[in-house]
Amino acid sequence: MPKHYRPAGKKKEGNAARYMTRSQALKHLQVNLNLFRRLCIVKGIFPREPKKKVKGNHHTYYHVKDIAFLMHEPLLEKFREIKTYQKKVKKAKSKKNEELARLLLTRQPTYKLDRLIRERYPTFIDALRDLDDCLTMVHLFAVLPASDRENLEVKRVHNCRRLTHEWQAYISRCHALRKVFVSVKGIYYQAELEGQKITWLTPHAIQQVFTNDVDFGVLLTFLEFYETLLAFINFKLYHSLNVKYPPILDSRLEALAADLYALSRYIDASSRGMAVEPKVDASSSSQSNDREESELRLAQLQHQLPSSEPGALMHLVADNNKEVEEDEETRVCKSLFKDLKFFLSREVPRESLLFVLPAFGGMVSWEGEGAPFKEDDESITHHIIDKPSAGHVYLSRVYVQPQWIYDCVNARIILPTEKYLVGSRIPPPHLSPFVDNEAEGYVPDYAETIKRLQAAARNEVLPLPGVGKEDLEDPQNLLYAGVMSRAEEAEAAKNKKKMAAQEKQYHEELKMEITASKDVVAPVVTEDEESVPDAMQIAQENADMSTVLMSRKKRKLYEAMKIGQKKKKASVELIEQRKKKLNDAQS
Amino acid sequence: MGKKSKTSRKGKKAWRANISTEDIEDFFEKTTKDALSGGNLSAAPSEDLFHVDKSHDLPVKRKIEKHRERVLRVDSILKKNPFVQLVPSSKPKLKKSKKTIVIEDKAPKQVQKNVGDDSVMVDLWGDDSKGEDESNPRKIFKKPSIIPAVEIEHPGCSYNPTTESHQDMLAEAVAQEMQKVYKTELGPAPVPLTVEGDSLSEDERYFLDVDNFGEGEDDVLKKNPFVQLVPSSKPNLKTIVIEDKTPRQAQKSVGDDSVMVDMLGDDSKEDLRYFLELGNVGEGENNEDVENEVSEAGNIFARKTKRVTRVELNKRCRQKALRKKETKEKAKEKILNEIDSLPNILEEIAREDEDKQNKHLRRVIAKEEVLKIRPPRLGKYKFEAPPVQVLLTEEMTGSLRKLKACCTLARDRFKSLEKRGILVPSKQIRRF
Repeated sequence: MPKHYRPAGKKKEGNAARYMTRSQALKHLQVNLNLFRRLCIVKGIFPREPKKKVKGNHHTYYHVKDIAFLMHEPLLEKFREIKTYQKKVKKAKSKKNEELARLLLTRQPTYKLDRLIRERYPTFIDALRDLDDCLTMVHLFAVLPASDRENLEVKRVHNCRRLTHEWQAYISRCHALRKVFVSVKGIYYQAELEGQKITWLTPHAIQQVFTNDVDFGVLLTFLEFYETLLAFINFKLYHSLNVKYPPILDSRLEALAADLYALSRYIDASSRGMAVEPKVDASSSSQSNDREESELRLAQLQHQLPSSEPGALMHLVADNNKEVEEDEETRVCKSLFKDLKFFLSREVPRESLLFVLPAFGGMVSWEGEGAPFKEDDESITHHIIDKPSAGHVYLSRVYVQPQWIYDCVNARIILPTEKYLVGSRIPPPHLSPFVDNEAEGYVPDYAETIKRLQAAARNEVLPLPGVGKEDLEDPQNLLYAGVMSRAEEAEAAKNKKKMAAQEKQYHEELKMEITASKDVVAPVVTEDEESVPDAMQIAQENADMSTVLMSRKKRKLYEAMKIGQKKKKASVELIEQRKKKLNDAQS
Repeated sequence: MGKKSKTSRKGKKAWRANISTEDIEDFFEKTTKDALSGGNLSAAPSEDLFHVDKSHDLPVKRKIEKHRERVLRVDSILKKNPFVQLVPSSKPKLKKSKKTIVIEDKAPKQVQKNVGDDSVMVDLWGDDSKGEDESNPRKIFKKPSIIPAVEIEHPGCSYNPTTESHQDMLAEAVAQEMQKVYKTELGPAPVPLTVEGDSLSEDERYFLDVDNFGEGEDDVLKKNPFVQLVPSSKPNLKTIVIEDKTPRQAQKSVGDDSVMVDMLGDDSKEDLRYFLELGNVGEGENNEDVENEVSEAGNIFARKTKRVTRVELNKRCRQKALRKKETKEKAKEKILNEIDSLPNILEEIAREDEDKQNKHLRRVIAKEEVLKIRPPRLGKYKFEAPPVQVLLTEEMTGSLRKLKACCTLARDRFKSLEKRGILVPSKQIRRF
C-alpha cells in the first residue's frame, strides 16, 4: 500500500484534515470536557484559529497534531485511573461502608507534573522566560481568601505565600530587582535573572474578591502547574546559592507574618555557613540586644547568626568578592541604600517595602514584634510614614512617604526628600519606569528633573565609565611593556592619549553644561548644525540604499514601521499642545 | 434453457441410468496416470518425495524475532525521553529463569520509590543536554499570541500620575464607556419577543392569506389599472373580472394597433393572457414590437406576411455591409486612440497597482495591529476587554494609604489568559 493512501470516499484535505473541533477532540480522546481542559492547560496546548473554519465560526478548533500529542500523554491514563478510583470510593460511601471509604481515600493515586515541566521548558532559561504569568498568578492566590465554594484550600493559599516569599527572598538577596511601578491595579516589579527580564504584578494589600465572570476551576488548574514550576525554579535558584531548598524557617517569625525576613535570615545563615567564615561576624555584632528567638527552632546553621541582627542581607556585602562577578547594574542596585536604615510605620505597605529595600541594599525594620530593631534606634536615617503627621518626631531622621523609595529605586539615585516629606502636600507624580521616554518622544517634567539629578550624581562619582578600568590595568600594562614590540607599544600609547583627550573633552563639556548652560548653548548649537546635516544626508542615503536592497516584504514592513512612527510623533505633538494649553490656562 | 425431459424411473433401463459409475472410472484414470508418470506416489518413501532445505535462509522463528528487534521510529523518539516507558507492540516470550526476572524487577522499583517520594526534589534542569532537546520536535512551545503575559499599565494608571498621562487614560476610559453606550443606542433595536395587539379575526386572516399567496402575480396585475383582483373563495383559483369599459380603453393604451381585440366577444383564457401581456409591455414600447409579439403569440389572428422583394433584399444587404464597415472603422479608431494614450493607460495601471498594494499593506498592518490588542476569534464569543483601572480625578490623593485599589485581580488574570488566546472566551454566568 502506498504511504499516503486515502480510501475512496474519505477525502480530507487542508483545514478539514488539519483541524478538529473541541467536541471531535473529546470523542477522539475519550475524555470529558473537564478533563480535557485540565490536560490542555498542563500540557500547554491552546486552541487555534484555522484559516478556514470548516465546521463553522462558533466552534473551537484544535490542531490534529496537538490532539495526537495529548493522546500520547501518560497523564491521561493516570487521570482515568483516578476517575475509576473515585468511583470505588463513591461506591463504598453509598454503601455506607465508611471504613472502606476512608481506607481507600488514604491510598488514592496521585499524579505529578514534574515531567511536564521538563517537557515544556527543556532548559532553565526557557522556564525563566515564561515566568511572568506564573509569578503573577501565585502572588494573586497568596492573598486570596480560602473558600470552600471555589475549592480553594487554605493549604494551597499558604503554599502560594511560601513560594512567593521564597522567590522574593532570592531576588532581594541577589539584588536582581530592577524596576517597581505602583499602579492602581497593583505593584509591578521587574527583575533580571540570567539576562531574562521577568515582570510580575502583585496585588495591593487589600482584600481580593471572587467575581462572577471568572471560572476559578480553570485558574486553579493553572495554579497547580505554576506552583510546581515555581517550586522547581526556587529549588534551582536556592541551590545556586548553596542553600538547601525547602527552607527551614524560624517558626516564631513565621507566626508573626515576617516570613520574608525569616527567609532572608535563613539564606544568609546557610550561605555563610558554606562560606566558612561565620565567627568574625558573630563576634562583631554581638553587641546587638539579645533576643534569643533563633535558638529555639532554627536549624543549626542559623544558630551561627546573631539573633536580631539588622539587615541580615547586608553582611553579604563583605564577602562579595568571592561570588561570581556581577554586572554593573547589580552593583549599582546593591549599593543604592547602602548606609541607610529604614523604619516602616504601621500604615505603609510592609510586604512590598520589605522586599524592595533589602533588594537595594537597605536595612529595614518595622513596627511590631520580631523586628530587627526598634523605632527608637538612633541610627535610623529614614522613617517611612504615610499619615499627615508623625506622633513622636526624632530629629535625627527624615520622615518620608513610601513613594520616595519607589522613585529612588527607579531613578537609581537617592532623590532629595523635600518633595516627599510628610505633610498635606501631594508628592511629585509617580512615573512609570517601564516607559521609554526617548522612544515615546514625550518627557514629563519630573522625569527631566530626575535625569538632571542623575547626571549630576554620575559626575561626582565616576567621571567616565571607560577610564577607571584603564587606570586599574596600568600596572599590568607596564609589566607587559617589555614583552610587547615597539609598534604595539606606540599604538597603545596613542590609544591612551586619545582616551585622555576624549575624557578631557567630555569633562569640559560637562562643566560647561553645568556651570553656564544658557550662555554656552549658542556655540554648541552652531557646532552641531555643522555636523548634523552631513550626518543626516548620509543617513538618508543609507536608508535609500537599504530600501532599494531590501526584499519587498521587508520594505513593506519598513514602511509600516514608518507609519507607526509618524503616528507616535503626532500623538506626542498632541500631548505637548495639550500641555501648553493647560499651562496657558493656569498662568 | 429447456427443461430436462423426465424419463420414466420404472424399468431396468431407468435404474441402470441412475447408478453412477464414477468411482470405477476414476480408478481407471488414476491407474493409467500412475502408470504413465512412473509409480504410485503414496507408496513411495517420504525421502524421495521431500528433502531438507539446507540453504542459508533464516528460519521463520528467527525472522519474527528479527522483526521484533527492529526499533520503530516512534519508539526511538520515545526512547530518547527518559520519562516515557515503551510499551512494546508484541511481547516475546520470556525464556529467562525466574531468578533473573526478580533481580531485574528490584532495581527499577527502588528508583521509582525515589522519584515518587514527595520530600525529595530533584534539579529538573540539572543535566541540560542540548542534543536531546533538539531532537524533540515539540521543543519550542509556540505561544499563541504576541501579547505579553503581564501587560504593564499605561503611566496614567499610576496611583499618583502626571496630569497629562492621567487625562489621556481618563479619556480612554471614557471612550470605552461611551462606546458601550453608543452601541446600545445606535445599534438595531432587538426583535421583540412579544407583540401587543388583538388576535386576528377570521376575515382578516382570510385577507392575509390571499396577500401572502403569489405576491409576484399581484404585482403584475396591479400594473394594469383596468384589472382588479377579486379574491375568490379558493385561493388557487383566481378569477379576473374585467369591467365593461376596459376593451376600448385597452385598445387606446395599446395605441394604433392594427390588431383588434374583441374582449367581449371572445373571453377565452388565451385572450386574457394576451391582454395581460399587452399590459405588461406598457405604452413606451414600440408598436412594431408589439405587433411582432402579437403575431407570434396569437395564432388566432390572421398573419399578414409581406413578401420581401428583391430590391428590399438588396437594400438590406447593402445596409448590413455598411454597418459592418462602420463598426470596423470604429474599432480601428478606438485601437488607434488607445495606442495614442498608451502612456496614460500605463500610468493608470501603475496607479491601480499601487492602490491595490497600499490597500493590501493597510489590511495586513491592520490585522497585525488587531492581533496586538485582541486575540483571534476562538469560539462563539468575542473577547471583551476589561475596563481600564484608573483613578478618577477626585480619587487622586497621592497617598498609598488612601488609594482605592483594584480588588479584582483574579478577573484581570482570567481576562489576560483569554486575551492571549489560551482560554476560549465564554459568556459564563455562574450559578449561585
